[in-house]
Amino acid sequence: MLNQLTSMIFTTSFGYSVIRITAPILFAALASVVAEKAGVVNIGLEGIMMFSSLFGVLFAYWTNSWLVGVIGALVIGAIFGLIIGVFALKLKTNIVLAGTAINIAGSGGTIFLLYMFTGLRGNTANLTTPQMLIPRINIPLIKSIPVIGPIFSGHSVLTYIAFILVAVVWVLLYKTPLGLRIRAVGENPNAADSVGVSVLKTQYIAIMLSGALAGLGGAFMSMYYSQSWNTGITAGRGFIAMAAQAMGQCEPVGTMLSSLLFGFASALGNKMEGLPGFSSYLVASIPYIVTVIGLAIYAVTQLKKARKRGQ
Amino acid sequence: MNKNNLKGFEFFRGLVAILIAIAVAFIFIFICADDPAQALSCLLIKPIISNGALNVKSILTILGRTTPTIFTGLAVCVMFSADQFNLGGEGVTMLGGFIAVLLGIYLPMAAGVHAAVAIIISAIAGGAVMLIPALVKVKLKSSEMVTSLMLNYIILYVVLHFLNNTFADRTKGSTQTYEFLETAKVGTVVQGTELTYGFFIALIATVIIAIFMYRTRWGYAIRMIGINGQFAQYSGLKVGTIIIASQIIGGVLSGMGGAIECLGRYTTFRWLELPGYGWTGVTVAILAKNNPIFVPLAALFIAYLNRGCELMAIYAGVPAEMLDIIQAIIFLFFAAEQFLSKTRQKLVVKEAKQEISAKADVKGENA
Repeated sequence: MLNQLTSMIFTTSFGYSVIRITAPILFAALASVVAEKAGVVNIGLEGIMMFSSLFGVLFAYWTNSWLVGVIGALVIGAIFGLIIGVFALKLKTNIVLAGTAINIAGSGGTIFLLYMFTGLRGNTANLTTPQMLIPRINIPLIKSIPVIGPIFSGHSVLTYIAFILVAVVWVLLYKTPLGLRIRAVGENPNAADSVGVSVLKTQYIAIMLSGALAGLGGAFMSMYYSQSWNTGITAGRGFIAMAAQAMGQCEPVGTMLSSLLFGFASALGNKMEGLPGFSSYLVASIPYIVTVIGLAIYAVTQLKKARKRGQ
Repeated sequence: MNKNNLKGFEFFRGLVAILIAIAVAFIFIFICADDPAQALSCLLIKPIISNGALNVKSILTILGRTTPTIFTGLAVCVMFSADQFNLGGEGVTMLGGFIAVLLGIYLPMAAGVHAAVAIIISAIAGGAVMLIPALVKVKLKSSEMVTSLMLNYIILYVVLHFLNNTFADRTKGSTQTYEFLETAKVGTVVQGTELTYGFFIALIATVIIAIFMYRTRWGYAIRMIGINGQFAQYSGLKVGTIIIASQIIGGVLSGMGGAIECLGRYTTFRWLELPGYGWTGVTVAILAKNNPIFVPLAALFIAYLNRGCELMAIYAGVPAEMLDIIQAIIFLFFAAEQFLSKTRQKLVVKEAKQEISAKADVKGENA
């Protein structure tokens, strides 16, 4: 049994699927990082991904161009980020509740909007044309390296963008004036305010960036991962992303690593599905259990640190 | 602003929120229904009146449908009152239903007792599960929100595992358990409707929770933590214990709701995804402004819309999922503290001016 398992994990196709499964979680997790750093909790990631995955497909269908679809999804994501921002920051809705409302709207509202715009019910499989799907690219040199090639080459454009964005978000947060403002506002809004940083403006920017990133995750789901939009397409990835962010201690690289852990666990679950003696359902619950334990361990180490400092 | 004016303003604000949502619904209906008038009457009138007469069956069904959301709404009320954003109601409801059905199948007992025991054990299980996010919060200072969200999915998959691999009735085409014994059934009040005796249990639970929250020391402590946690701590309350207690109560209520729903409306366990009552419970609690007494009303409102959307889907071809958008809009505006703040400001100014001029009049008379 164990042999069977190890022989499954040490294949290039397994490595490939880990990366493929990680990408959408990574988009949303980075979205969570940007918002959290600015002191705004974006719990609406799940709903934002639902909306943007739907509109990504619709824009791509209307224009017959995947690029327009992806950009559309990004814009829709930013708009929903803005909606959360307006309600939370201007109208003083508790931000957790604002996000929850977006999630509620996203779960069923997307089904309704799909019907309103196209007359279709539940999925867009009939609309899909090859031009609407995000293309895969083979990376010239890497492609021909054994083992490495099949794992890292041949992914979709957006998959690479997800991993590039880890660096981009890091640079944004730690090497740009905007990033400095975001972190300042998140750590101590009063102090930031006192040195002339507009707290509100910064938080608006952060939540919209967060929405845009989650929007890309949505586009990835519907225009590449499952090749069309369907009900429940995001399947809790927005929530997993929040956990990945928490486990990654709200740092881009750490968040990428914890996203990869989720990708690994999910890929493993997919592989084990057909095996006798393994319950695919229990395997599917592993990432969530790992998160709870991971968060607890992290919390314990933080507490110990705090206690040492106290002494 | 004095207390009565404030209440009046709150009411006005809620009304505006609902009107905005219904206006949006109108726009949607005009865009996508073949016969908008028919769709509108389905949404607003048909749930209670059909063919010119009161549709009693439909009304009773609406009442029956409030049952699970009253429970999850109460649960959210208690937890949010203590400032605990525990969103695990969704999973705990499912777990409660599953455990209740299993007890209903495999633990034969006398009629009446059977259902009660199944519901109580499910409730205890629900409370026990909520201990996890509660303890993690109090002992480790880790977010109860993320933990409880993860818990939803853990429960989902563990239940699906046992449902598929251990307790499935293989003779049926769809995945479900065997039928539970007749003795465990929560009876239907009027045949042909969805109104079960569970509804009355929900009302009793509402009264108990309302008394608990507003007439007992524990309830006061829970609300005090929500209003000002630091003050509560400095005044000597055992904040940790109370936070844990609030989430256990939330779990007990959610578990109970799931059990009553499954034993009342179905004959087997057949939820293959999270049932959604946990999230509706959040909406209900927001509409009720975290006051348990208003929870049944809020649940009734949502159930009414739910039934209206269902009828609209059947007779006018508008997908019932429109409900989620309406619900989210109402939710957002209800929870928005600064919504219509300018109107409120004007009211306050007007009142102040009146008071000043009244005082001036008195002074003038005295002089």
